[in-house]
Amino acid sequence: MHYQGESWGYYMPTRSMASDPMERVVKLASESAVVVFSLSSCCMCHAVKRLFCGMGVNPTVYELDQDPRGKEMESALMRLLGNSQAVPVVFIGGKLIGSMDRVMASHINGTLVPLLKEAGALWL
Amino acid sequence: MANHRVGETGLTESRPPNHHHHHNIPYAVLHGMNVPTSFIHQEGSAFGFGELEEAIVLQGVNIRNDEAKAPLFRPAATLEMFPSWPIRFQQTPRVGSSKSGGESTDSGSAVNTICSKTENQLEPESPISTKNTTPLDHQQEMASDFSRTGTSQNQPVAKLPQEKRRGSTSEKQLDAKTLRRLAQNREAARKSRLRKKAYVQQLESSRIKLTQLEQDLQRSRSQGFFLGGSAGAVGNISSGAAIFDMEYSRWLEDDQRHMSELRTGLNAHLSDSDLRIIVDTYISHYDEIFRLKVVAAKADVFHLITGMWTTPAERCFLWMGGFRPSELIKMLISQLDPLTEQQVMGIYSLQHSSQQAEEALTQGLEQLQQSLTDTIAGGPVIDGMQQMAVALGKLANLEGFVRQADNLRQQTLHQLSRILTVRQAARCFLMIGEYYGHLRALSSLWVSRPRESMMSDDHSCQTTTDLQMVQPSQIHFSDF
Repeated sequence: MHYQGESWGYYMPTRSMASDPMERVVKLASESAVVVFSLSSCCMCHAVKRLFCGMGVNPTVYELDQDPRGKEMESALMRLLGNSQAVPVVFIGGKLIGSMDRVMASHINGTLVPLLKEAGALWL
Repeated sequence: MANHRVGETGLTESRPPNHHHHHNIPYAVLHGMNVPTSFIHQEGSAFGFGELEEAIVLQGVNIRNDEAKAPLFRPAATLEMFPSWPIRFQQTPRVGSSKSGGESTDSGSAVNTICSKTENQLEPESPISTKNTTPLDHQQEMASDFSRTGTSQNQPVAKLPQEKRRGSTSEKQLDAKTLRRLAQNREAARKSRLRKKAYVQQLESSRIKLTQLEQDLQRSRSQGFFLGGSAGAVGNISSGAAIFDMEYSRWLEDDQRHMSELRTGLNAHLSDSDLRIIVDTYISHYDEIFRLKVVAAKADVFHLITGMWTTPAERCFLWMGGFRPSELIKMLISQLDPLTEQQVMGIYSLQHSSQQAEEALTQGLEQLQQSLTDTIAGGPVIDGMQQMAVALGKLANLEGFVRQADNLRQQTLHQLSRILTVRQAARCFLMIGEYYGHLRALSSLWVSRPRESMMSDDHSCQTTTDLQMVQPSQIHFSDF
């Protein structure tokens, strides 16, 4: 799991151009195989992280409470999902999977692992 | 003072010769002696004795007053209650005696007539006076008549001490003391009446409550304790929990119906498409309870998470407010034979992924607990209310975990029906239903297991839990 923050200058120009928070979300989501938008205080986010780690997956986690533009992104995610809970939100291979219940459902019905393999997050 | 002998003075004094015929009449009566009421009854009771005694005493006082004035008996208004006294009695004045107004009735029946007249006169009062403290002039008639025992305890009785006392005190003082005493007696009688009434009412209501409790217990036993602990704790249950419990028990009844449909469908060897309909109906039946649980989790998450909606044995296996999917699959795996290789792989993969999901949720919940502990545990309480508000916010996350757990359960059942053939799925769901039915039956048996028999042995009444656990052989599991 690796955390990305504003300090990564390598990404700076790209990021500063994404003024629209939703655009930023999508941008970030497409940059890694597995992306999780989270809040450091959220326990369900912790559960989703544990799920991926338990499967041997190394997701990229964005803690929105530690991002200066996190608040905007939270609202954007809330609108995207139609949920009162913005996080956790999971993207795999740049594609939106959803919040915890969708992730669980896809894991149980066996679609999660193929997706992960497809995105290059799992090798088996 | 009961059965006080009439003062020998009375008897030894002049005895009218015509009294010889009347042996059945007590001497006291004949001689108009004072007969205290006490020789009939010792007990104060709540039957208006206070009032009766008062009336009698007042009459006595009146008589006293009258006698003080004239040796001859002068009938006061109240004394007409003894009209059957023979006139000649009245005409033999005796010190300290009083006679009733009389009519010339046969002396033999004098007592009886006296009694009846007296009764008539004293209609509103209880016929029995028990207060023995006041000497009454014509109590002899009352006594003979109203004696409960029926024995003609018509012994000449007189309150000698009181007579003497009466003689020594002035009329006024006597009145005051007597009146006070009467008032006290009245008061005591009334209080005693009220106490008795209250006690009886209390007994009645306790009896009703007891029968109601027994009925509740009987009902919940017959239902196999579907309502769990909530049946007995009506006052402590939230409305959301109560509603869910009701819906759950109805769901269980539906479950029975669906299961019998599955059974008959399997036995009847229906076509796959027909069986598919039944199986899909059963799956929707399960979807229904998960929908209900979402609402219940919002209303009262602790009711779900503590398992108070289930039976004790089910609570043993409780995980996040319900069954643990991987355990259910483990139970099913051995019974689902024969399975194709693909099916076997599918089932094992389902078990595996459900285990991973359960683990993730458990760890998430652990972090929630840790975070909650950090919030409310020790340390300098700078802002208690703020602390509590934060803790409340964290506690609210419990609902999310129970929801996710139920979601996991629901997804597992759906996936099972996808992996299995229709017939296998029908058998599978039947097995699940029967498994939980057995658990519920086990709970009922456990709760109603005989404990009294342990006391009938030579064990002491303080049976320890160890002792109770040692005696499971007393229960016969005939169905298992």
